[in-house]
Amino acid sequence: MSPERARERTRLLDPHFVSKLARLDLKARLVVEGFLTGLHRSPYHGFSVEFAEHRQYMPGDPLRHLDWKVLAKSDRKYLKQYEEETNLRASLLVDTSASMGYGSHGITKLDYARQLAAALAYLMLTQNDAVGMFAFAAGRGEHIPARSTMGHLRPLLVLLDRLQPGGATDFAASLHSLAERLTRRGLVVILSDLLDEPERIAQAIHHFRHRKHEVLVFHILDPMEVSFDFQREAVYVDLESGERVTTRPRELRSDYRQRVSEWRETLRQACIEKRADYVPLTTDQPYDRALLEYLSKRARLL
Amino acid sequence: MPTLSFLNPAFLWALPAASLPILIHLLSRQRLPEVRFPTTQFLRQLEPREIRRLRLREILLLILRTLALLLSVLAFARPSLAPRGAVTHAAAAVGILLDDSESMAALDDRARPRMEGAVARALAIADAGRAGDELYLARATRPGEAEIGRARDRVRLRRSIERIEAEPLPARLESSLHSLRLALGRSPLKARELYVISDLQRASLTPEARREITEAAAAGIRVILLPVSEGRTPNHAFTAVDPVTRPGPEGRGLEVRARLVNYADGPSDRLALRVRRGEALVGGGDAALKGGESRWVSMPLEPGAVNDPAIPVVAESDEDALPLDDRWYAVLGAPRRLRVLRIAEPRGAAPAPRFAALALDPSGDGTSGFTVETAGPSALLGLSKSRADVVVLEDVASLSADAEARLKGYVKEGGGLVVALGPHADPEYYTKRLFPGLVDLTLAGPDRSAEGTSFELRARLPGHPILEGLALGVGSPLTQARLSGMMRSRTASARAEVVVQTTGGLPLVVAAPSVAVFLSSFADDWGDLPYSGAFVPLVRGLVSYAARASESEPGSEPRVGERPFARLEAAPSGAVVARGPAGFTSPAAVENEGAAFRAVADAPAMAAGFYTFEAGGKALATVALNPDPVESDLAAVPADSLKADARGPNGAPVLSIDNRSALATRLGDTRRGRELWLPLLVLAGVFLIGEILLGSARVLDR
Repeated sequence: MSPERARERTRLLDPHFVSKLARLDLKARLVVEGFLTGLHRSPYHGFSVEFAEHRQYMPGDPLRHLDWKVLAKSDRKYLKQYEEETNLRASLLVDTSASMGYGSHGITKLDYARQLAAALAYLMLTQNDAVGMFAFAAGRGEHIPARSTMGHLRPLLVLLDRLQPGGATDFAASLHSLAERLTRRGLVVILSDLLDEPERIAQAIHHFRHRKHEVLVFHILDPMEVSFDFQREAVYVDLESGERVTTRPRELRSDYRQRVSEWRETLRQACIEKRADYVPLTTDQPYDRALLEYLSKRARLL
Repeated sequence: MPTLSFLNPAFLWALPAASLPILIHLLSRQRLPEVRFPTTQFLRQLEPREIRRLRLREILLLILRTLALLLSVLAFARPSLAPRGAVTHAAAAVGILLDDSESMAALDDRARPRMEGAVARALAIADAGRAGDELYLARATRPGEAEIGRARDRVRLRRSIERIEAEPLPARLESSLHSLRLALGRSPLKARELYVISDLQRASLTPEARREITEAAAAGIRVILLPVSEGRTPNHAFTAVDPVTRPGPEGRGLEVRARLVNYADGPSDRLALRVRRGEALVGGGDAALKGGESRWVSMPLEPGAVNDPAIPVVAESDEDALPLDDRWYAVLGAPRRLRVLRIAEPRGAAPAPRFAALALDPSGDGTSGFTVETAGPSALLGLSKSRADVVVLEDVASLSADAEARLKGYVKEGGGLVVALGPHADPEYYTKRLFPGLVDLTLAGPDRSAEGTSFELRARLPGHPILEGLALGVGSPLTQARLSGMMRSRTASARAEVVVQTTGGLPLVVAAPSVAVFLSSFADDWGDLPYSGAFVPLVRGLVSYAARASESEPGSEPRVGERPFARLEAAPSGAVVARGPAGFTSPAAVENEGAAFRAVADAPAMAAGFYTFEAGGKALATVALNPDPVESDLAAVPADSLKADARGPNGAPVLSIDNRSALATRLGDTRRGRELWLPLLVLAGVFLIGEILLGSARVLDR
């Protein structure tokens, strides 16, 4: 990849840059294409049943798709490619609670989740996966059932575009009710800051697993939430409960960081236990990590 | 019950500053910014354990800061516990008399000037001042310049005390005591104290000064004597230098005579004496003096060292306790010479013998310091001070009434008279006519020694100025000359002193003010005295003594502290300026003084040395100024005797405090109280260090 391309790709995956773009569909496409150009092999084509065409082998392609016959005949390496045909049903669960409205450097957690969800939806639809979406906060939730047509992207993006942070989440309860509603098994992608009791979250994940869903958890936090890098004494107001705590960051910082990493570790352990995938993210990280996680998950599923 | 007071109460206004940390804390609390944060659950979890600990430390830091500030401010206000002695519990009027006379420059046992200790004492008293006190400072040499300091002026007062140095001036204790007593008396404050810091020199503690102390005590002023010395510190000093150089004995060239005094109870060491002209050594000698002795010592000069008039020289001796008086400035060969009018009667064809004239002016040119004019008695009719300083009557039988009246008038005007008798003198005339009013002496007629014997002469008053030039061995006769005849006489009162007498008790030399009588002959009629070595010094001694009245008229020689003046022979052309040591420059006024002129500088001279009067860049005259020798006797009056003097029926007792630590104790007890600023400052420092340690611990455990 030329340096210009590399720079361009990096830019396309940078949440800051993407958040400046106005249209969410554009954002989604740019993110995904920026992501895909970086991959050695194209994921547009799956490796399913129905043969589509041959493609020249590129270093890094899995050898299991190599067309050995062609190799034997012509001493050239070709890959066999197939028309995609999957029955993956993915549900994107986007947390819109008030705490998701926090952003310390211009981009809120909800923005990040929104763009990531859009990119994922785009990526999934291009791979002919069916995508549904749930946006939930306390007492309200919006739902778009899963479909695999490309035209389905629009309502998804419209919903994402409309999302506003607000209200407290009884996150675990929402997950439980969703688990009840999702009857067909598939991939459940959770985009949330998971501000709830780790136990209850674990139970909710367990509920999904019990219903044979695969679960991918993107734990989205703001960098400040992790580092608590505030300088001066201040009154800290809880975005959900409105609770006020006066404290001095400098004195608490080390203990706070310890707590947060312990909490993330607890969540990770809970996910491992429930055989769900846990991806910790901060809103200053590029999207490719999340997208890669998704792709590897998908690859494992198929 | 001890009460607390503050020496710098103005600083108490800064006390609210101690609340600054609290104010800052509260203000910053009120203005805390709000930060919206996704969740406070972790902060809440930390709160009970961590935040309370932090808050506790914060409060502790706040207390430490506040205390450190509070104590610092208090320390600056100089709190003191009330004095135990409590005579001056309230504000007091405090007078400080600081003796800065010449004797205070004397070195003490540790070779430090007495002035150092005196200034330290004065500063201690000034420092002990409390708010509202009135401080008065007077210097013994300048009683007119009393300085007043209130509490707010204390810094200025301190500075002026620090600047005070011993001056080459005599102390005028009575005047400065008087002005301080009046100043304290005028003060509205009830408590009054007068500190006298002095070496209590005997010479300066005049009866008037003692009376001032007594009166101050009687007026309720507590007088505290702070003597800086005791007993008598041995000290020798020059008190005069004879401006006239004289030929030394046995023709050894010229010599300078200086009067040296040993103010001590025991004999002095042998002192090396030097005469310097500028930096060059032009003469010198040595001398050892008995305890209390005062005498003229001779210092031979190098040949040719002094051959023109008006040569400024400095006589110096080894330095002792008071170095200032071991140096004397003099202008040698000053134009003043003693003019002697010698009255002698020719006897028939033979001229009168000229022994006395030769003794006074051997070369006839006045270089010996005497000019002699010989005349008959009729010359007395035109006698005046401008013609002669001394008249010598040499074997004159009697005088006419007019001549006698003029002579008596002349002596009254300040002229000197030496009467030498002889075989022709009429005892009755002298007893009844000439002597009354001049000298109380009765003559009884001539007396001759037995054949083959002579009168043996003894000095009755060995230290008398008439005998200055004579070397007097103890117990040996005045001269080896054989004196065969003299006038028998009797002194009628104590006004006539017998200076030399025979072993038989007959007076030979009698002295009265301005008059000296030699009761034998200046000629060789009555023995061979004119041929003896004692004759020249004796005649010169008689003439010099008689002339002394006119010589040492008051103010004839300026002292340090006075305005320098000089006699000028001719009227100066243009404005006269006096220049002296230490950059002294002053215009001088010229007064007409009959035959001569007198230039007087406008400003007083404050340093010993040479002062030159100039007109139009040309030097007219040079005079030497020396300090008053009265300061040289370093004998102190015991403070106890002053205390006894002042003990009156109602008066406050006079105290004396001998050393500085006792003074500090007394000041602490009676005026300042126990000061607390040091412990407060230390405590504030401890709190500050505690605050810093606690504050940095916060950083460390992060």
